[in-house]
Order: sequence, then C-alpha cells, then structure tokens
Amino acid sequence: MERSEIIHRLRSIMARTATTQHDWERVGETDTIASLGIDSLAMLDFVYDIQQEFAVQFEAHELVGVSTVGQLATFLDARTTA
Amino acid sequence: MKRLRHLLEYAAVRTILFVVDLLPVRVAVVLANGLGNLAWLFMVRRRRVAIDNLTRAGFAPDAAAARRISRACFRHFVRVVVTSLKSDAHWHRVPWQQCVEWHVPPEVAALLDDPQQGVILASGHLGSWEVGAQVLSHRKPVLGITRKMNNPYVDRLMLARKPRHRFELTPKRDADLGRLVGALGSGKALAIMIDTHARERGMAVEFFGRPAMSHTAIALLHLVTKKPIVFGWCLEVAPMRFAFHATGPFRFAPSGDKQRDVRTILEHLNRELEAAVRSCPEQYMWGHRRWRVPSEPATAPS
Repeated sequence: MERSEIIHRLRSIMARTATTQHDWERVGETDTIASLGIDSLAMLDFVYDIQQEFAVQFEAHELVGVSTVGQLATFLDARTTA
Repeated sequence: MKRLRHLLEYAAVRTILFVVDLLPVRVAVVLANGLGNLAWLFMVRRRRVAIDNLTRAGFAPDAAAARRISRACFRHFVRVVVTSLKSDAHWHRVPWQQCVEWHVPPEVAALLDDPQQGVILASGHLGSWEVGAQVLSHRKPVLGITRKMNNPYVDRLMLARKPRHRFELTPKRDADLGRLVGALGSGKALAIMIDTHARERGMAVEFFGRPAMSHTAIALLHLVTKKPIVFGWCLEVAPMRFAFHATGPFRFAPSGDKQRDVRTILEHLNRELEAAVRSCPEQYMWGHRRWRVPSEPATAPS
C-alpha cells in the first residue's frame, strides 16, 4: 500500500474517532496523535478501527512509542508489507 | 473559602483515620455499623436512591424489605471503608492467607499465578472491593484506576494511603493508553469498575432490566489487547474475613462491527455482576445513581 494511501485512511479514521474537529486534509506526518483530540478512550476506538481497516493484527503495546501520524504510518507500512 | 473548606475536610479525615488506626478491629467494626445507621438516617437523598434502586431491581418485595436491605447497604459501605483502612495493620498480626477464601476456577487461578500474563479484571461496587484488590495483589500486581477527588488534600492523602503491597492506583485523567497497555504487557491485573455512570460517551446497556450508561473502555481494551477478562469480587464473610470469587476467563473475538462487539462484552459483564449481586444484595452499593438518564430521575418514598 502506498504511504499516501495509508495517511489518507488514517485521516479518515481519526476524523471518526477524535473528540475535536480539525481540517483533516491538512493533518500531516509531523502532527502528534494526542494533539488531534485522540484521548485515551478515543485511542482505543482508534486502534480497533486501525486493526479492522488495515486488516492487521498487532499487540497494542507495540504502539506505545508511536506518537505522530508519520510514525504510525511507518508502523502500518511495515505491517501491511510484511 | 474553598481552600478553607478543603482544609477543614482534610483535618476531619485525618482525625477519623487517626481514631480508626487506634481502635481494635472489633470496636472499629461496631463503630462502622453505628455510623452506617446514622448515615442511613440522615443521608435522605442517598437512602431514597438506594430504596428506589432495590425496588426497581426486584430485590425488595415491599417497602419494609427495601428499607431493611438499604440500611444493611449503608452499614456495609462504612465497613468497606473501615476494613480497607484496617486491613494492612490487621494482616501484620494475622497472616492474610488465614483471612481469605478463594473461589476461583482453575483456569483463572492459572492466569492469576502466571507472572507473564496480563489480565483485565472487571469488578463492581460489591463486597469489599478495595480489600479485594489488596488481596489479589498478593497473587498478581494490580493497577486500579481511580477518580480524582474534589478535595486535593484528601485526594493526596488517599492516594498515599490506599496503595499497598503490589496494588497501585492511577488517576483516571492520567490513565493514558500506554500506561494501561504497558501494565497488561508486564503481567499485571488492570482493575476496572464496570458499574460507574459513563455519561454521554458511554453505551446504554441493560443492568437489572434497565438501561444504564456503561463505560466502553473495558470492552475496547479487551478487543485491542486480546487480554482475557476475569470478573472478580470480594465478599465480606465476617469482620476482617473475606471470600474472593471470580468467573471467566472471558475472550471475545472482534467481528468488525465495533458497536456490536462492545455491546456483547458489556452485556456479558453486566450479567456477571447481576449474578454476583444476587448472591449478596446487601453488600452492593445501591445508593449510587447507576441508572441516571435525563428522562428518569430517581424518586421513591423513603
């Protein structure tokens, strides 16, 4: 999957789960996930949706060091191409 | 003015703690029962809520029964506080193993005794939940999520006082996903109370036949971490003697329909809690407004 496609899908999931509104098309790789209104409860929704959308299974603790949209895209890129 | 009120409350709590610490267990329990009776008499709104909840949940066939059980609940609640405060000192004299019976299925026991296995522990305000977490921490480290108290001085005091042995607390606002998932990954039991009111972000799930706003976090946490859920509760069987019960472990596979998955898990856990409450209704905290919905305020004659 192209990286741009991963980012596009992530924006779509974040728009559904975030507790605050943003101009999602302007959200880029350097934005931190926490700054986009994804609190701890929304994060659980977010991880569930990622696992379903990308059809990948991973241990949730593997995401502990992931804080930006770009880092998450890299993580998913590695998983979907593995 | 607010600070003065907080300081006065803090002084009162410190005084109560000092007195409770000095008293022998038997005297402290008698005092707790007396305070519970007084609370039932004077906390009219809470008493009405308890009586209303008991009646609607089908535990009280008549007004006299509702009043009797609600009064027992108030006494029990004060005993929960007192025994929780006394337990540490008591178990320095009497080994804790002599004070606890375990009623745990073999598969749950294996999970609890496996230091590598994280477990999501679902529980409710039934029995002696604080002592239950403390007891369980002798088998597996426990991380509990606690609500921040309005009074910052009392909050700090309680946060310093409650954690014991391998039982830690994390304030709800600081309970980030990394910490919760990290706890499960390091073999701890993550304790979550499933019967607190969830407001608008929760899901309305039936509890004793009526929809109650329930937190979805426990279900989502299970779906994304795949860690097993154990339902546990700790009943008081005599002063400073307890029975720890558990059911499970429960595992649910994600179907892709998030709402349905979450509802299935929450309904299942509520059925578990209902069954546990039926075994000992006078040890459930009926005085909290579990079924709060805007169209249905709690009203009942006392």
